[in-house]
Amino acid sequence: MADKTFWTGSESYLCDPELAQAFHMARTLGMPLLIEGEPGTGKTELPLQYSKNLNLDLFVYPVGSKSNVEQFVAKFDHVKYLRDSQIEVLNAQREEKGLDSKLSTSGRSTDRLDDYVLLGPAAQAFSAPNSVLLIDEIDKAPREFPNDLLYALSHRKFVMPESGKIVETNEDEMPAIVITSNREQELPTAFKGRCVYHYIKFPEPETMGKIVNKHYPEADKETVDVCINLFYHLRRLNLERAPSTRELLNWLKYVQTFAKGEALEKINKLEGVGALIKTQADMEYIQKGINEGLDSFLRKVRYN
Amino acid sequence: MFQSLPEKFKEYGLPADVRTLLLLRKAMEKGLINTLGDVYLVLKNIIVKDPKMYGPYTRAYYEYFLNIMMEPGENLNTAVLRSIGFKKWREKFVDRHPEWDEKPIEELIDRYLDEVHLTSYDIKNIIDGQTIIDKDNLELEDKANQEAQSDELRENLLDKAADYSNIDMDEILKRMEEVAKRQKEKHSGGSHWIGTDGISPYGHNGAANGGVRIGGAGGGKMARKVIGNPQFYPVDVDARIKDDNVDAALSYLKGALEESAESKLDVENTIKKGLKRGGLFLPEMEDVISEKMQIILLIDNGGYSMSPYIGRVMELFKKMKTRFSHDLEVFYFHNSIYDLIYTDARRSRKKAMTMDRFLALDPNYKVFIVGDAAMAPYELTRDSIYQWISIKDKFPKTAWLNPEREANWNYVQTTVYLSKIFDMYPLTPRGIEKAVLAMNKKKN
Repeated sequence: MADKTFWTGSESYLCDPELAQAFHMARTLGMPLLIEGEPGTGKTELPLQYSKNLNLDLFVYPVGSKSNVEQFVAKFDHVKYLRDSQIEVLNAQREEKGLDSKLSTSGRSTDRLDDYVLLGPAAQAFSAPNSVLLIDEIDKAPREFPNDLLYALSHRKFVMPESGKIVETNEDEMPAIVITSNREQELPTAFKGRCVYHYIKFPEPETMGKIVNKHYPEADKETVDVCINLFYHLRRLNLERAPSTRELLNWLKYVQTFAKGEALEKINKLEGVGALIKTQADMEYIQKGINEGLDSFLRKVRYN
Repeated sequence: MFQSLPEKFKEYGLPADVRTLLLLRKAMEKGLINTLGDVYLVLKNIIVKDPKMYGPYTRAYYEYFLNIMMEPGENLNTAVLRSIGFKKWREKFVDRHPEWDEKPIEELIDRYLDEVHLTSYDIKNIIDGQTIIDKDNLELEDKANQEAQSDELRENLLDKAADYSNIDMDEILKRMEEVAKRQKEKHSGGSHWIGTDGISPYGHNGAANGGVRIGGAGGGKMARKVIGNPQFYPVDVDARIKDDNVDAALSYLKGALEESAESKLDVENTIKKGLKRGGLFLPEMEDVISEKMQIILLIDNGGYSMSPYIGRVMELFKKMKTRFSHDLEVFYFHNSIYDLIYTDARRSRKKAMTMDRFLALDPNYKVFIVGDAAMAPYELTRDSIYQWISIKDKFPKTAWLNPEREANWNYVQTTVYLSKIFDMYPLTPRGIEKAVLAMNKKKN
């Protein structure tokens, strides 16, 4: 019986209540959870932390532009199969010649096609009850990929290539499937329809404080507050690429290497802001502001 | 039950259908739904498939379950005040908590919304708070007894939580009864909905005083935020292209991209590896992914009627170009095309191209003509019409995007003519989407 209890996060991971509820719902209904949201809002963290916290098997499939269902589910190792079948011929020949020693197929037999099926993360997860399966960044996949998963998602089974063996699971033992997307391309409606959907909203400053605290419990509170304050002002500037949680954490990492007084000074001079700003145009804009006089710029930042 | 739900939600542009109902029923059977707030959560996760749907979804939910209808331009408070459900709730609530009568109406509305959005997760929080208090209670020595007590408590609280549903919910209740009948397990939800006597689940029973914040994150506040934030509404894809819907236009335009992924026999590698294997040749495959996008943009930049749109259109296609490596050719014309088209925006003769050369380009190009197609009838000469027809014949995937409002097309003679030659679409995100879809359907 897969875990269906309400999980709200762990020591090191603060799970947004709405996300936790959606995740709980997905597991209870035996449906995959599709998480979308800005980059750096912790989409991938959920399944990682969940499996770590509850000590569950985790299977990860990072999606790329060349992903296909074969890699995800299982593929048939034709080379090995061919090699083994040739070994059989060779062995027969050797026998004829009166040689005793046989070439080994490491226990595989060409009669058993299953021996040559290499299981991908999906098939592995489906055969391990109560596991966690993460399909990361599905929006990077070719368009057919999500459509190819429809059958498996609604029937909870995969058909193995060549051997025809069926790997299936039931609603109770279904792995907790989490799918993340950065919305770089729209996913097919039919696919979304089979998932429980959750969009991670950007955290409020208050929540952000808590998140930072989970990552850097040692950090000086005042420094963190100043950073977060500035961070949200930068986000309000309508930059091309608004800084995200990940960037804030990186910046804090940098800032923390200094003593408190020095750190505050650095923050107010926006030093190391390169950790937050990611495009040339934005950088120029900020730089121009800094040159104009930081105080007035920041005021502009603040009251814009 | 809820048969009318998909229809109502569809009115708000949401993808609800029979499957939504089946899933909702399943969620009930699994005990996910104990309060009206749970209905909101569950339906949200089932129906909403895009952040832009949160706004319409919340409105649809309010209308369907609470009979709170927001007229255009009206804010949530006014709509809530008008609803019968709120009036009834208020009577009972104030009756029980006279001190609230003094408070501003806004606070009452907030309280109402918080109660509406109270989920079983919130209630669990409250109960957990209560259990902690109970643990200090010396009367409860027997542990099993204690558990039973807290279970009972949970039930009680859940019962009471079902209160705000005076609101025309007969249908829901009927459904809930059915679920309850079918379910024998004690604590699996379902039945807890029934048994409403219109009391607030907290306040008087001390749980809230136990220090647990009511309503978790404040469900009402959350919904209010969603309703008031344009971020959670779909962009107007029928409006002419502006800053706020240019991204939508872009995403539709992406459909013009021809993407193909296939595995091909990698001959070279097959030979190489085969030799290494000592003459055992196995086919080696290679993945070929190709993105093809050949676009010609033909812009009418003559006359001031067109000037507001040119910049936007150029920006749109330029964005396309930076995102994908592909051919984008831009040509200009004034009102209509005769024997020349121009490669620069100033339409200088030096940089002109004859139509013969233009028509010799690859017919696989997708051609977007942007123009209002409005001119004096004598400008659209026989020769000119001939040129337009040759463009259409040469490039089967051609669409005309017209920035004029569709309703006005019929009043301009030349527009009528040209729309008979070309498939004409409004220059809006939806128009672009339609144009691209139509193009993709055409085979070369």
